[in-house]
Amino acid sequence: MSAELAGGADRPKRNFWRNVMVFLAVVGPGIITANVDNDAGGITTYSLAGAQYGNKLLWTLIPITIALVVIQEMSARMGVMTGKGLADLIRENYGVKVTFWIMVALLVADVGNTIAEFSGVAASVQIFGVPPWISVPITAVAVWVLVLKGTYRQVEKVFLVACLFYVAYPISAMLARPDWGTVLKSTVTPTFQASGGYVAMLIGVVGTTIAPWMQFYLQSAVVEKGIKPEHYAHSRLDVIVGCIFTDVVAFFIIAACAATVYVAGVKVETADQAAMALGPLAGKYASWLFAFGLFNASFFAATILPLATSYYICEAFGWESGIDKKWDEAKQFYSLYTLIVALGAAVVLIPHLPLLQIMLLSQVVNGMLLPFILIFMLLLINKEKLMGPHRNGPWFNGIAWLTTVTMIVLTAYLVYAGVRDLLVGGA
Amino acid sequence: MPEKQASQDPRFLYLSELLGARVLDAGGQPLGRVSDAVVTTRETYPLVEAIVVRRGRQRLQLPWEAVRGRRGGRFEVDATVAEPLQPSAADRIRLVEEILDQQIVDVEGAKVVRVNDLHFLSVKGALRLVHVDVGFRGLVRRMGWERAVDGAVRLVRPRARYLDADQLLSWKLVQPLSSAPGKVRIEVAQRMLADLHPSDLAEIMEDLDRQQRTVLFGRLDVETAAEALEEASPEVTTQLLEEVSPEKAADILEEMAPDEAADVLAELPGHTRRELLEAMDRPEAHEVRQLLEYHPRSAGGLMTTDLVELRRDATVDDALLEVRRRADEIPILHEIFVTGSSGRLEGICTLKDLVAAEPALLVGKLMREAPATVQPEAELHDVAEAASKYNMVSVPVVDEAGALKGIVTVDDILAEVLRER
Repeated sequence: MSAELAGGADRPKRNFWRNVMVFLAVVGPGIITANVDNDAGGITTYSLAGAQYGNKLLWTLIPITIALVVIQEMSARMGVMTGKGLADLIRENYGVKVTFWIMVALLVADVGNTIAEFSGVAASVQIFGVPPWISVPITAVAVWVLVLKGTYRQVEKVFLVACLFYVAYPISAMLARPDWGTVLKSTVTPTFQASGGYVAMLIGVVGTTIAPWMQFYLQSAVVEKGIKPEHYAHSRLDVIVGCIFTDVVAFFIIAACAATVYVAGVKVETADQAAMALGPLAGKYASWLFAFGLFNASFFAATILPLATSYYICEAFGWESGIDKKWDEAKQFYSLYTLIVALGAAVVLIPHLPLLQIMLLSQVVNGMLLPFILIFMLLLINKEKLMGPHRNGPWFNGIAWLTTVTMIVLTAYLVYAGVRDLLVGGA
Repeated sequence: MPEKQASQDPRFLYLSELLGARVLDAGGQPLGRVSDAVVTTRETYPLVEAIVVRRGRQRLQLPWEAVRGRRGGRFEVDATVAEPLQPSAADRIRLVEEILDQQIVDVEGAKVVRVNDLHFLSVKGALRLVHVDVGFRGLVRRMGWERAVDGAVRLVRPRARYLDADQLLSWKLVQPLSSAPGKVRIEVAQRMLADLHPSDLAEIMEDLDRQQRTVLFGRLDVETAAEALEEASPEVTTQLLEEVSPEKAADILEEMAPDEAADVLAELPGHTRRELLEAMDRPEAHEVRQLLEYHPRSAGGLMTTDLVELRRDATVDDALLEVRRRADEIPILHEIFVTGSSGRLEGICTLKDLVAAEPALLVGKLMREAPATVQPEAELHDVAEAASKYNMVSVPVVDEAGALKGIVTVDDILAEVLRER
């Protein structure tokens, strides 16, 4: 009798540990995807948001986190339930033509993003006095080797460690000594300015947080990891934790820049300028940490983006892919991967290249692609044949469609503004 | 498209040429466009039985016999026999829905490929599915750019390989893996599948998605399934064993080498592991249970209990008989182990020793002392060193009393050493 009682008391405890173990085994894809999201482009946008508008954009982070969770949760759920990547699903359900154009757009957008990552690497190490012609080729080779010589599990571990380095931002925000009371108050009080610059920045923050490639990456990573339907709850937690972590990092970046650069009224246009501006205002360590964070984020994203892009494209067209294949077996895969890394690194090294325009263009292509991806995701996730009982419920569907429509309206404006700037810039 | 009546000439055509073609009734009124084709799978090369015509959201099915003529991308049909879309059946395939753009297994090339187009042979008005197109040209054709791309390539390099490098696989050598129950299996391909090398089969399973993998696995016989699982990654193995019935999983585990079975079981959650061990036959379950006690990377965890064990007073002839009897179940058989009353290891002889010796000789006379043994707790490094130093194909594992517990074979040592690097 007493033994039975003891067993009964023991039970929930053991379940708890079992849950922790399963969670640790399942964790990864969500957190990694969400963190890669804070790449060079993301950090630039957040820094500028803080530097130019102080705390006035902090409130957007809460709705953005919700939208991010809604969208990423669908990706993870599709990956777990169907065991297929998003590119696979689009190809199998909508045929070659649609897939082809989506892949072309994704390739263009991701090459653009990769260029942005390499320029982030170049800019961040320049603060430590290393010129780009040294840092960029070394980074490119390091990225190439890490991915081609590592297994998925090893690479995932490296990535998870890279995620930890994002604490550079909270620390550098602490060093900047903002008035935390005001910061927290601004985070929960929505404010709005009707100026064009404010609206553009707001959309920029949203657009950089929810990018098309993420949905492909997350879903493939979940599949690659072989997460089973019964462990889906843990996978969902992984996604939610990742999304919150991402926006917490964004929060600290904005807060750090708001407390220093904005207050001092210094004019900055890029993330590395923000890092430099932090120096005299919050001490050189804050500045270094900020620059180190930018390097970490850029390197991290430069590793994942080219790899992920090559995966989806090969997946969609049925070419052999995977880092465990030999070059001869997976020619298309390796060629694509090498091409994207080389192009990304080379473009940054060309002198007098309009880098700003290139990044703007990639942002426009990203923006044009996103509505299609979101709509395909919603159509796919509501197919009974694929998802069975795990389709969206009516409430969730409502929220998801609302998020999608909002994203479409915002990115439509982003595309419009981007095209306008490109044309004006070109003239 | 050549402007010919369908009833003339045997000729080849692609599914992509049919899709989207306009369908008109006898009076020339448009019915819609071709959106799919249905084949029956009763014959090796399936016959097209019907086409599916789509108009807006409405879909109709028309038997192939209702097609009166085909000319320049238009179908003239007898619309009176049109019927509503038939539900999916076990011996029918809807090509667009179930095959086109999906992954299938190329049994001859032993890999997973994606279907870009389907190739028919048209004989006397009837269409038979003969090939699956998995090549780049198929993709270009689906995009509708075949002519333009061909022209461009011809301009640059008139003899480019691209122009005649269609990658067509014979229908009977592919295996579609639709997840619907009781769906198409191609007999020739099915037989060849069982003959593939287990590592090829394992690689195919890794490349498939979860549902397809389960379908393929379900079609393998227990022996083939066990061999393939020994080669597959732990993720794939555990997933498959959890998805088949416990009885079948137990049968497969019994068929596997005990060390491999223990490795697989160690990866499964506790309750599944207990359930499967319960379902397995006694002696096999007992062996596996013992192996599970050891650390997976120690000699005990790496060892197998599949070995040939003899007494001193057996003759060489007896020994060879025993080797023949067990040859099928033991993948690597090089050393024979001679044990005493309490299972104590007394000596070994190699297969070469046995073959070279007189049949009547006693193994007690032939044997020599084992050059090295390891204890179950020994680390991988020590086992590898013993194998390398004394050129042993299998290193005997003995307990403190010197009793033979099992052997670690060189293939398992190599795999572990490679994994460590």
